Amino acid sequence: MILQALTSYYGRISAYDGSGVAPEGFEKKEIPFIIVLDHDGKFKGIDDTRSGEGKKKRAREFLVPKGVKKSVNIAANLLWGNPEYVLGRPRPGTETDVKKVEKVKARHASFVETIESLDVDDSGVSAVLCFLREDDFSSVFSHPSWPEIEKSGKNDITFRLEGDTGLVCERNEVKKAVASMNKRGEDDRLQACLVTGEMDSPTRLHTAIKGVWGAQSSGANIVSFNLEAFNSYGKTQGFNAPVGKKAEHAYTTALNRLLGRDSRRRIQVGDSSTIFWADENSVMEDVYADLFGEPPKENPEQINQAIRVLFESPRSGAPPITEDYTRFYVLGLSPNASRVAVRFWYAGTVGEVATNIKQYFEDCAIVHGNKEPEHLSLFRLLVSTALQRKSENIQPNLSGEVMKSILTGTPYPATLLASAVRRIRAEREITYPRASLVKAVLVRNSRYEKEVGMALDQNNTNVGYRLGRLFSVLEKVQEEASPGINATIRDHFYGSASSTPVTAFPYLMKLKNHHLAKLENRGRAVNLERLIGQIVEGVASAGFPAHLSLQDQGRFAVGYYHQRQDLFTKKSTDEEE
Amino acid sequence: MNDRTGKQSQLFKLKVWGRNACFTRPEMKVERVSYDVMTPAAARGVLEAILWKPAIRWHITQIDVLKPIKWESVRRNEVGAVMSPRTSGLFIEDERQQRAGLLLRDVAYNVHAYFEMTEWAGVVDNLAKFEEMFQRRARKGQCFHRPYLGCREFAADFAPVNGDMPTPIDESRNLGWILYDMDFSGKEPMPRFFHAKLEKGSVKVPAFDSKEVRG
Repeated sequence: MILQALTSYYGRISAYDGSGVAPEGFEKKEIPFIIVLDHDGKFKGIDDTRSGEGKKKRAREFLVPKGVKKSVNIAANLLWGNPEYVLGRPRPGTETDVKKVEKVKARHASFVETIESLDVDDSGVSAVLCFLREDDFSSVFSHPSWPEIEKSGKNDITFRLEGDTGLVCERNEVKKAVASMNKRGEDDRLQACLVTGEMDSPTRLHTAIKGVWGAQSSGANIVSFNLEAFNSYGKTQGFNAPVGKKAEHAYTTALNRLLGRDSRRRIQVGDSSTIFWADENSVMEDVYADLFGEPPKENPEQINQAIRVLFESPRSGAPPITEDYTRFYVLGLSPNASRVAVRFWYAGTVGEVATNIKQYFEDCAIVHGNKEPEHLSLFRLLVSTALQRKSENIQPNLSGEVMKSILTGTPYPATLLASAVRRIRAEREITYPRASLVKAVLVRNSRYEKEVGMALDQNNTNVGYRLGRLFSVLEKVQEEASPGINATIRDHFYGSASSTPVTAFPYLMKLKNHHLAKLENRGRAVNLERLIGQIVEGVASAGFPAHLSLQDQGRFAVGYYHQRQDLFTKKSTDEEE
Repeated sequence: MNDRTGKQSQLFKLKVWGRNACFTRPEMKVERVSYDVMTPAAARGVLEAILWKPAIRWHITQIDVLKPIKWESVRRNEVGAVMSPRTSGLFIEDERQQRAGLLLRDVAYNVHAYFEMTEWAGVVDNLAKFEEMFQRRARKGQCFHRPYLGCREFAADFAPVNGDMPTPIDESRNLGWILYDMDFSGKEPMPRFFHAKLEKGSVKVPAFDSKEVRG
């Protein structure tokens, strides 16, 4: 299903003219340096295609013949490559190493051979061959740009004919030759392709997928059989899974485009690089990244805007988005060294996705300070469950599972609640994202008896919720009794109060009496005492429980957060009066 | 597949279920991703675990999906090397490979299948004998080895379906090309694929040697 959907996405994007999708046998590649030749193969200069500043310098993308997959063996690309291949120039510092120099010579020879074997009558190719056969590159090495090429890590070189706008490998004759070379195929073993069902020769090694965050920078593979244990029935590499050449080109090109640096179809959710696409142009494709990504500083309203675009009924009278039956796909990929693993896969309709996303935002909504954004990005929610709020500390499987739950509208994974509660206990701090997350989990788990509301619910008699509220008030009492105190009871007792109330609360209640006695404003003391009375009323008949379940610990957190928000908002309205 | 004798048994229905299943897609067999439904090859494996003799060959005609398709993602420690018979062994911790898996969770299927007699059948072998054998074994829960759902670690439970047919889920969609089974008739085992469609929770399986199956 995944490869099929990607293949049809390739069909969709390559149907547009000027979409810039590479045809079969070609790939899009950033080439920083171009050697310019005249028709006789004389060196004319070096073009530097990079733009930008410092480390962010990026080269222009060109359409070049697809690179050969290589590890240690010698295999030259057609008409482009690094200086070792193109000019037979050893890397700086290795000129004295005889072995390496020999290897570079062989590489250069292979490069020339590849061009010769192309066998086309084209002035560009013959100029390049003239230049290479001359075998005197001193003019190149003395060019002022050369030290720059030696220095930079990405130093692919290709050729351009003087007077041409495109590269030599972009000339029509070359394109034709490459296309016909592809048709010939290396071996004539035909097998049904498992993506399309058509007879095609199976691809042995698949093009690397680049841009999966955390994977090898040279690219990793979804379809790869890189160790003996992964083979079946005595087959090796790609023959384990016959994917035809056509389908292989289509799915890898589509994936690389979706994952590309400028792609608007990808977001990072925890450790999984997430891409999404639809069968046809859809507004969902445009706003999906905004809904879940962290809004940029210059546009903090991004999420709200995206929600508005999605759900405000269009004035044109078009049917609402929830009735859009365009197929929509979301694919989460996570790295495993040289391989890419599928973390989750979702195939549904735009309408379903829209409905479930709306539900997600409703579930997460909770009262918050005025300065906090109304909707938190998924990233901020997830890092709030991680140690030191670092994305690499998010539990490995969590983000993908959460994303899947959002898309399918199913309950969140139990680990989400567990890790949020664990963070709260460890840091003794219930932040806005954490409260919102815990509330969302609880609401979802009991969809039909909406037990945890958005704001303080004085009638909620759940023992966890009540104790959370009580704890919050007790902390407030202490804060008012000793203003500016550094460590409150929250810092000392949150863990035990939320998990084993019977050990903490009796002591805390005793402590409270001393705090109340210290309050100078007697009216305030009476008010607080009354509030405590109201809260305890629902709890204490059976005494403080010995343990709270994980769910109740979640409710404890929400109750604490609700009550605290309530205490502060009340105060501000009092002041206004 | 040319050793058919044309003698076909009655159609059996067997319910199989389990907590997890992974009918691994060949293209994603390293970082495993399961097919959405049971493949005919996996169904054959379950039947053969209950009854198999050289004299019979199982054919799957239909697979009903009885529970909604749910997914689960896990990462497990496995081994990357294959032990050669000439070595004294390998130390597993040196050959560790973590592999992710996108598995099916909480599955149940109703497999429709029949068997036919092969040329290996002896003079005393007849359809009724094996039919009785299969029914008896399935009813008693007897098996040669524990049947499994795609991977050995996902053990399957089974029970014969007699009388009331369990209702499949109400879902229809195109599943694309999926693996039918390996073709072992040639020198090298070759995979064969067919275009599967889920229609009201059922996948109709064409005959292995029909035109709809390609390899």
